[in-house]
Formats: sequence, structure tokens, C-alpha cells
Amino acid sequence: MSTNNNVMVSIDHLYKSYGPEMAVKDFNIEIEQGEFVTLLGPSGCGKTTTLRCVAGLERPEAGEIRIGETTVVAPEKEIFLYPEHRNIGMVFQSYAVWPHMTVFDNVAYGLRVRRASSNEIKTKTMQTLELVGLDHLADRFATKLSGGQRQRVALARAICYQPEVILFDEPLSNLDAKLREQMRDEIVRLQKEVGITSIFVTHDQSEALVMSDRVVVMDKAVIQQVGDPQEIYANPANSFVANFIGVTSLLEGKLDGRDGDICSVDVSMGQGAEPLRLRAIGAEGATPGDTVNVSLRPEDVTLHLERPQGTDHGNLIEGNVIDTIYLGSFLEGRVRVGPHEIGIQIDHFENLVRDQTVYLSFQPEHSLCLAN
Amino acid sequence: MTTETYSSNAVERSRLNNRLRAMVTQENLITLVVALIVAGAVIVPLVVLFVSSFKVLDPAGWDTTWGFGNYVTMFTDRIIPKAFVNTLIISSGSTILATFLGVSLAWINARTNCPGRSYLEPYNLIPFFLSPFVGAIAWHNLGEPQTGLLNNLAREVFGIEGAIINVDNIWGVIWVTGIFFAPLVYLFVVGSLRRMDPSLEDSARTTGAGLFRTTMTVTLPLVMPGILSGAIIVFVTSAGEFGVPFKLSAPYGWETLTTQIFSKAVGDDANHHMGAAMSMALGIITVFLIWVQQRYIAPRSFTTVTGKGFRPNVLDLGPWRWVAFGYNIFFIMVAVVLPIVCLIIVSLHPVWTGKIVLADITTINYVKTLMWWHPEAISAATNGIGNSLILAFGGASISMVLALVISYMIHRTKGFGVRMLDFLSMVPIGFPGIVLAMGVLVTYIQTPIYATLWILMLAYITRFFPYGQRNISSIMLAISEELDQSSRMAGASWFTTLRRITIPLLKPGLFAGWILLFIIFLRELSISIILFTTGTETLSVGVYYLTNFENEPLTSALSMAQTVMLLIAIYAFRRLAGREALTA
Amino acid sequence: MTMQEDTGAYLEVQNLVKYFGNDRAVDDISFAVPKGAFLTLLGPSGCGKTTTLMSVAGLHAIDGGRIRVGDVVYTSPSEGLFLPPEKRDIGMVFQSYAIWPHMTVAKNVAYPLEIRKVNQSEIDDRVAEVLALVGLTAEADKLATNLSGGQQQRASLARAIVSKPRLLLFDEPLSNLDLKLREQMRVELKRIQNEVGITSIYVTHDQSEALVMSDEIIVMSKGKIEQRGGPVEIYSRPVNEYVSNFIGVANLLKAKVRDSDGSGQGVVEVSQDGQTMTVPCQIGPGIGAGDDAVLSVRPENVHAVREGNGNDDVEGEVTHAIFLGNYVDCRVKWGDFEWKVIAHPRTRLKAGEKVFLQFDPEHTLAVQP
Repeated sequence: MSTNNNVMVSIDHLYKSYGPEMAVKDFNIEIEQGEFVTLLGPSGCGKTTTLRCVAGLERPEAGEIRIGETTVVAPEKEIFLYPEHRNIGMVFQSYAVWPHMTVFDNVAYGLRVRRASSNEIKTKTMQTLELVGLDHLADRFATKLSGGQRQRVALARAICYQPEVILFDEPLSNLDAKLREQMRDEIVRLQKEVGITSIFVTHDQSEALVMSDRVVVMDKAVIQQVGDPQEIYANPANSFVANFIGVTSLLEGKLDGRDGDICSVDVSMGQGAEPLRLRAIGAEGATPGDTVNVSLRPEDVTLHLERPQGTDHGNLIEGNVIDTIYLGSFLEGRVRVGPHEIGIQIDHFENLVRDQTVYLSFQPEHSLCLAN
Repeated sequence: MTTETYSSNAVERSRLNNRLRAMVTQENLITLVVALIVAGAVIVPLVVLFVSSFKVLDPAGWDTTWGFGNYVTMFTDRIIPKAFVNTLIISSGSTILATFLGVSLAWINARTNCPGRSYLEPYNLIPFFLSPFVGAIAWHNLGEPQTGLLNNLAREVFGIEGAIINVDNIWGVIWVTGIFFAPLVYLFVVGSLRRMDPSLEDSARTTGAGLFRTTMTVTLPLVMPGILSGAIIVFVTSAGEFGVPFKLSAPYGWETLTTQIFSKAVGDDANHHMGAAMSMALGIITVFLIWVQQRYIAPRSFTTVTGKGFRPNVLDLGPWRWVAFGYNIFFIMVAVVLPIVCLIIVSLHPVWTGKIVLADITTINYVKTLMWWHPEAISAATNGIGNSLILAFGGASISMVLALVISYMIHRTKGFGVRMLDFLSMVPIGFPGIVLAMGVLVTYIQTPIYATLWILMLAYITRFFPYGQRNISSIMLAISEELDQSSRMAGASWFTTLRRITIPLLKPGLFAGWILLFIIFLRELSISIILFTTGTETLSVGVYYLTNFENEPLTSALSMAQTVMLLIAIYAFRRLAGREALTA
Repeated sequence: MTMQEDTGAYLEVQNLVKYFGNDRAVDDISFAVPKGAFLTLLGPSGCGKTTTLMSVAGLHAIDGGRIRVGDVVYTSPSEGLFLPPEKRDIGMVFQSYAIWPHMTVAKNVAYPLEIRKVNQSEIDDRVAEVLALVGLTAEADKLATNLSGGQQQRASLARAIVSKPRLLLFDEPLSNLDLKLREQMRVELKRIQNEVGITSIYVTHDQSEALVMSDEIIVMSKGKIEQRGGPVEIYSRPVNEYVSNFIGVANLLKAKVRDSDGSGQGVVEVSQDGQTMTVPCQIGPGIGAGDDAVLSVRPENVHAVREGNGNDDVEGEVTHAIFLGNYVDCRVKWGDFEWKVIAHPRTRLKAGEKVFLQFDPEHTLAVQP
């Protein structure tokens, strides 16, 4: 039994492999009632497999998954509940709205298999359709709906019978950019309104950042970091997370020394006559001489066309423009600094030419030193 | 250089000029000519058939008058109304049997973890390519009450009195037609079952429905349009089937429309006009049902394919998978193995008494039916082999060229008459061969091509070129027009593009279509039986000829020869076309 | 430079008209492109951009106008001229890649040269060179079907440029690729185009592709040209509401021009739900004092600060603050209007906060409604 009464889903030491290939390795998490947790990672990282294990669509080799008070799978105890016995709802990438049924029949399906009374079916289904704004389309066949509407039907179908957990398998990736943002906000709103525990799988970091209470970053079958969005973005646990979430420049160097929270790193990598010292935070546990990575977000770098006066610039380095991309709202660019490339992002157009000398500054507390 | 702006008047004028010029291009002329040729081949026999059905032969058989007499006779005749009812019973029965077998086998193969599925599939499809007529011959020898192999086996091994089965009746016709047409339904549903987005079923499971409920409320309804299409095709094909009722039910008093049309077309009391009227009746039923299928059922198909290539998860049947396996093996036994084994056994005996007599085993039947140089050779049989090979090679080749030209016109040009071409190449699909053959017969009986192989070739091509055309069209639809356009942009002319890009891309479709037609022509019976004369017998006609002697060993030997040729062609088809070619 | 370039135009499209049935798909448009330039036709589907491209390619016959490249007239219905596509010497990259699946990559790329009857050793050299340029040297002998989407698109580009054609046409070549690959390929495409220097027309509905890649952009709508200009100009000085809405995101408010100095500076008045503000801004072409206009401000040019510094500030309440990593996407309510505001993540704006909005006159624009 779980020690915390608020825990709705708990996954303990989950292992799953396909042939010799390990898909999920020692996955552990406890998800609280009403929490929105996102599994984020590149394709093949094991996030979908984990979700399908929770759904009962895959059988793990080892570990235990509990939903509410029920153990739904535990190979060691020879427990395996089929998906239909788990009281879950699931939304798929391909919508999986049944084309031979009306919108109403799709949404009512879960209540019908649960043998709800026809009165209850009618009221609950219409309530749910109202919730997703499709009550006026109840009698329409699913084939006559747009992609966004289909995904709403799928969502309504999954929440209509009030399951304990709702599972999302990349539900937005078939929608175009505008619709995706709209549905993203819609799902968040609904989830908060209904207060249902949710596990959301995606490879899109912006979805994860926007929607989640907690993000689980996965790579190569293993959890890399668990934390809330700001934490994951601001304090990535390792180079993979730093790189995967948002854009970051990773500057490899040697740890020189430390002064309180601030450490000093030489990133010259032996090039140039003098060391290129940067000050950054982090690198707990590393000792001078260790190889570390300084992680730097483009939006934290300030660009100067002339060497700035004054001393309050934190780190100040000189570099040469490699190239720029004009995106309207931003100008993205790359600047060569010694052996490194540093990404920059400025919010107005600046006519930078290749090899032009520029100066970059950033605050030590905005750059994070990651031990390897 | 001119920099004047073009007045809207000039624009209008040039628009009109463009339109006019666009009307008379090479493309349009060629399309029109081909459309007219196809129209001639397809429409003329049907019109002549229609006209001919209103000519009433006087009792003496010399003169004709115009009138509805033939249609009246259909209701007042002693036999024809019964034949009508029998045809309906047989078609309904075989449709139910074939649909049940086809859907269940397709489901087992595409959606479950039945052992050895990928090995079983090709065998499930074999009956589709074999001759149902030969199937009827084989089952006659298996299930005839006195001399049937199975009945004798039951008497000797289990000491049962009498017969355990009797296939020489209307139920036997349903049985043989049903198992031979089951692959038709199978092909209509297996593709959509196999490619169905697994999350459609997964979402039913996660919503709380069990395996059985998911299958009944989600899986099967989703393929229902395919099932209905398959069922309709089986219904009309059974109604137009000649060989099976001719062998199993007509001799025992159960006539059908096709056997009646046949007896009006040839033989002593031949009355082409009566035959034409009956053909019209059968043809109209067929066209109506095909129209329903094309108009109402095919467009309802659900798009259930997903782009995301998740591993296709199949249903775990648990121990039931062995039941599924046994069921599938049973089908292959009754539809393929037993008939072939029976044919081999019977064909090796000088006379067939229902018992295997090892001492009597002989190859004389093969000598008589295959070795045309041998003095004892039966010319109807040996002619048949040669003629069928000529018809199959020539017919398949001509059909594919025609199909290529028509497909190209329909899908790559916007010329005149394209819509008519598209429609015309739909008409013969599913149309009973025997009806078309009646049309061809009454049209060409006065011309020099009558009594030559040419009339057979003409009828074969008219009836079956749409199969080749569909094969090419489906590939042509799948390959984007941009592939052609980018060749033009690369500087290649229209003809170079055709030669270097379009045709090479269509090659698999051309080969597959060719072999499919080769197979169909090699086993064709219901057209040949109306149009053959002495000297232009085909393989199936040879089998029919021997059947009339009631010499089962000889019949079996020639049937076996045909079956072996078909099996070789099927093997080649699979090697060339691959597994998906058929389901397209 | 060639002789006929009296206007400096290498490709010249004059008064192009194309009908589909009774629809004017392209409605009397004209433009010219200098040699070596990269022009993008940008617009929503059905705006006529692809039709224009197909007309240049010769895959459509046009109903009026004239298309000329260098000293060759491609088509001019009034003069009875129509050069078939294969005679136009054009390289084209399609949305579906259109790589021939029955040939290897090298064979695909060699095809245009074979058609032109170039000798074999030169073909081999050119193919190797172009494959190296697009980074497919290792894939030369693979069948085209074994390539990934991005690789197929590179092969398609290699095939289009191998014969050094007069023109390079792109028909939404990146829209079948996923986002990451698309971002990578647009930079790559631009680099290669720069290197080979072939005059290019690129059709897309994706404004960020247009901004990143083009020397010049033509924004189209309903068969007509709305605006033409460089990426920075199109983005920061849209001429009307349509363009500012189509390119990027903009806060658009009904406004009245109160004052205009005639040289592009002025003041507009915006009223919203009883509140009024006056905003010093740039005045776009075609409007003057007293005219109705639309105020267009990009979200990144609205600055939300906690402490106001004067009476021109707009006071509002943050209703929405979505953390997206490198920026925070905010909505600020001012009367009935919700301002879209992009803030730096380090500002840590939260929903419910009162903020002041400030506008930089340099980046605030009044345009034609």
C-alpha cells in the first residue's frame, strides 16, 4: 500500500524490453491525485512504452504499477489487469475516433460498456460534450469533423466515465501549429476543471513546459530528470536535459576554482595564448581540474556591437559572427568564441555580417556549470 | 520589348483561343478513338443482346417475330422459374458461407496471434485462382454417395452404412461455391483489417470494453463496407457461375439460370433469343447489385489507416489460438488439399469405382489428355491446352496494353471522353461471363470471326481487361504526377518521360496484372462454353467435354493438368507481385 | 550581365492572368527578379502563389500576360508563344520530393544531364560534385526509397541544380518534413542556393521560412500582390492589416490618425471600451491625418513593466503568463482588449499582476485597415 494517500499512480522499478533492446529501465515515479505529469523525450526514449504499460497495452517484464489502491500489473506477483479493467482513459495521437459512430456514441461508449442507465448516459455524455464545446455536433458522424474536433471527441470519450487517470499519447502532434496551441490550452483548462490525474507523453518541449505540473525527461530508456517546468529549464541536471529543453550553448572547459556559489571555468580548451575564463554557478561536487560544461541560454546573452564601458557586465567575451537567421520576432545568431559557438537571440533586427567582431555579456548566475 | 498592359478584352480573347486550341490536341483525339473502340467492344454486344431478346422464335424454329414472348416464357416455362429460384438459393447460400469463411479467416490472419499466420495466408488465397468447375469435379469424386472417396472411406474405416455426405445437389453447389469464393471476401477485408490503426481498438479497450465487445462494436463495423462489398461480389459471381451447378446440381434436377442459358445457346433445342432474354434478366440483376455496391457501399469505406507506424499489435487469443489455427487448416484442407489429392487419385485409375486400387494405377489418362501426338489422344483435351495457352498469352498481353493506354488517359490526361472511358471500363466488372458471351455470340455469329479463336479472345478481353486496368490504375494513383512533371522540368519530352519514368514505375503493376489475366484466361469456362466450336476448345471446355462422357479419371487428369499450370502461375504471381498486390 | 537587362530584371512576369473555370486564380500580377536572387511567394492556400509558379514552370498554360527569363520568352498567349516545360531549362523541387523510386540517387541526379546528352565522364563529375554540395555523397548508390524525407529532399535539390538551369523553382519543398528538420533544411537550402547562385522562386505558406530564406518576399492574397519587400521590411513595416496579420503575430487595434508629419511619423488615437490612448508611431503609406487606420504592434515590441514612468503608459492586468523556456507568452487585459506580450523569462511575470505597457514609437505602426 502506498504511504501517501494522495498518490494516484505509482510506478516502481518498471522494466520493459523489446528483444535485446531495453525500452524502459528502472522507471520510478509517484503521481499525486490531480497532478499533470508529462513524459518528455526524443522518439525511442521509452516514454510511450511507459505510458502503454500503465494503460495495459504492453506487458512490462518487471516492476509494479498501482492505480489508486489497485495493483494493475506486477509480473513478479503474476498480476496483470487488461486495459478494460483498469479504469483509465486514453487519448491517442491518431485520435482513434470511431468513424462508424456519431460523436455522441463515441463519447457514450465508456458509459455503455459500464452499463450505466440510459438517463445517466444521456446527461453525462451531453455534459462532457458541452465541456469540450461539441454539444451542437452530438449527432454528427465523426468522419465529418475537423482534426481539432476529432481530438476533442477523443478527449471527451476518455473523460466521460470519470476514470481515475487519463493518459495522453502525443495527442497534439497531428494538428497544425495554430490548432496545437489552441488544443494545448484547452486540455490544460479541462484538466484543471475536472481535476483528473493526467500522464501526458510528448516530444515537444514547449508542450511539456506549458502544460505540466511536473516534467519527467527521459532518454535512452532512463529518467534523466524530474521537476517542474521552470526548474527543468533553469537547472537542467545534465547536458542532455540542457540541450533537449530549449536551445542552449554548451561550452566545454576545465573547472578552475570556486568562490562561494560562483565557480570559474577555463573554456579555452588549450586554444589561444591565454585562458578564457567564465564565471558560472553550479558544478557542485566537481573539483578543480575536472572537465565541465557551461550551459548558456541564448536569451540570457546580451549583444554589444562595441566593447561596452563599465564593469557590471558579469562575463564579457569577444567573438565573431558566424551567421544569423531573421525570424521576425527574433534574430537568432551564432557567434564564434575561441573554440566554441555561442547562440544568441535578440528581439530586433541587427544587420550583422559574417566575421564581424561583437561582444557578448551574461551574468554568472544565468549560466550553469554542469559536471560531466 | 513590349511593356503594354493587356486589356481585359485581349485576355478574354486569348482565353477563348486557348480553350479552342485545347480541344483539338493529339491527346484528345487518341482518347476519343480508344474510347470509341472500347465502347464498341463493350456496348455493342449488350445492345444486340437486348434487341435479340425481343425476337420470338416460332415453334417450328424457322422464323422470328418481335414481341415480349421470351420474357413471358420465363414465367410460364416449366423449368425456368425453378431455375430462377435455385439461382437465388445458391447465390444466397454461397454468399453467407463465403462471407463467414472470408471474414473469419481474414480476422484470424490479420488481427490475432494465430500460429503460422504468414505461412497460411497464401494457401487461403489459392482457391481464388483455381477453377471452381474443377473444384466441383473434385468434390463430386469426394462426396458422391456411391463412389465418393470420403463416403467409401467412412464405410470402410468406420463401418458406416450408406453415405455420410452427398454433394450432388443444391447444397453441394453452395458448399463448393462458398469455399471457392471465400477468398474474394477475404481480399476485400484483410487489407483494411491489417492496416487498421491499432489505437482504434486500443481506445475501446482503455475505455473499458473487453476483447469480444471490441471486436463486435469496433473492429467488424469498421470493415463492414468491405464485408458488404465482398458479399455482393460473391452473390453476383455465384449467380453467374456455370461450372459448379452444371457439374453438381443440373444433372440431378436442380437447374440454374446459367445452365438454362447454356442449354438455350448450344445443343439441339438452341434458341438464342430465349437465351438472350434470360441473359438480360441475369445481367440486370447483376448490374443493379454492382451499382448498389459502387454507389452506396464502396464510398462508405472508413479511412482507418494511420501514418504512424506503431508496431501492429495483434490480439492475444491465448489457448484459443490453436482453435483458430485448426479452423484455418480445416479450410485449406477442404478447399485446396482434399480436392487436389482426390483429383490425383482418381486420375491415376483406369476406371473409378470409389476405391483406391493400388494395382491398377496407370498414367494412361494423362497420355490420352496431354500427349497430342499419341494415337489415343483425345483432341478436345489436347486442343484445349494449346488454345488456352495461346488465348492466355495473347489475351493477357493485349489486355495489358489496352489497360495501360486507358489508365494513362484516365489519370494523366484531361482529354475528352475520359469520363466515358472510366465508366466503360467499370461496366464489365462483375458482369457474368455467360451473359457477355451470349451478347458476343448473337453479335458476331454472322461474321467470319465466329468459330475462330478470335471471337474467344475478343470476349475474354472485353470481359476481363478492367482487372488489368484496375491493377495499373491503383499504382498510377499512388505515384504522384510530380514524378512525371519533374522529368519534364529536367528537360525530358513527353515520350522520354513515358519511356524512362512512367512505364518503369508501372512495371510491377503491369507484370502482376498480366499474370492475373493469364490465370483467369487459363481457367475461363463460362465464356468459352458459349463460344467454342470444334477446334477452338479451351482447357476448361476440354474438361467439360470429358465430363460429358462421365469418365471421371480422364476428367480428373485434364483437371489436374490445368490445376498444375495454374499453381505455377500463382507462384510466379506471388513472386512478382508480392503480398499486397492483390489487396490493392 | 546579359544585354537585355534594361530593367535589371532576369525573370520578368508581366500582367499574368490565369483562370480556373471562372475563378481568376492569378489576377494580373507583375514582378521582376534580378539574376541570382531568391524570391519567395508567400500566402495562404488558394492565394495564387502555386499557380504563379506553375505558370513559370510551364505546367499550366496561362490566359494572359507574358513571362520572360533572360532573352527567352517562356510564354505569351497574345503572341501565341508557349514554350513546353522541358524547353524552359528550369530546375524544380516539389513538395513530394518526386524522387524516382526505381533509380538510385546518383541516377536520379544524373537524369537531367543524360537528357541533355552530356558525355558520361562529365556526368560523373557533375553528379559527384552536386551530391557533395548537398551532403549525399555516401548515399549515391542507394535506391531513392531508402532515404529519409530530408535526404530525399536533398536529392531532389541536387537533381534540380545539376544542369545549372536558368531558374530554380521550389513548390513548398519543406512542408512534408517535421519541424526540426524543416528548420535545419531551410538554412541549408539557402546556403546551397547562395553557393550555386541560380535565380530562385520559392513558394510557401510558412512565414518563418520566407523570412529566413528570402532576399525578397511577395505576399499574395486572392490572386493579387499585397506587398513586396525584403524580410525586415515586410515584418517591421507591413503596409496593411492583412500583411501584418499574416506575417508574425500582431496586436491590431482600430485607430484614428490624429497627426501625421507626412514623412512617416505621427500620432494615432486608440479607443477601447471607453479608454483612450494616444500613441506616437510610424504612419504607413496611404493614410494621413483624420483617416481610419489599424495600429499594429508586435508582441515583442510591447514592454510590460511593473513600474510605469509616465502618463502615456497603458495600465493592464496580466491574465495569462505561459512559460515557454526562452520567453514568456503573456496576455494583458486593457479594457476589452487582450494585448499579446512577449516577456523575458527572467521578468517572472505572473497572472494577476498589474503591469504597465510601453511602446517604442520606432516599432509601433499604423497601417491601412
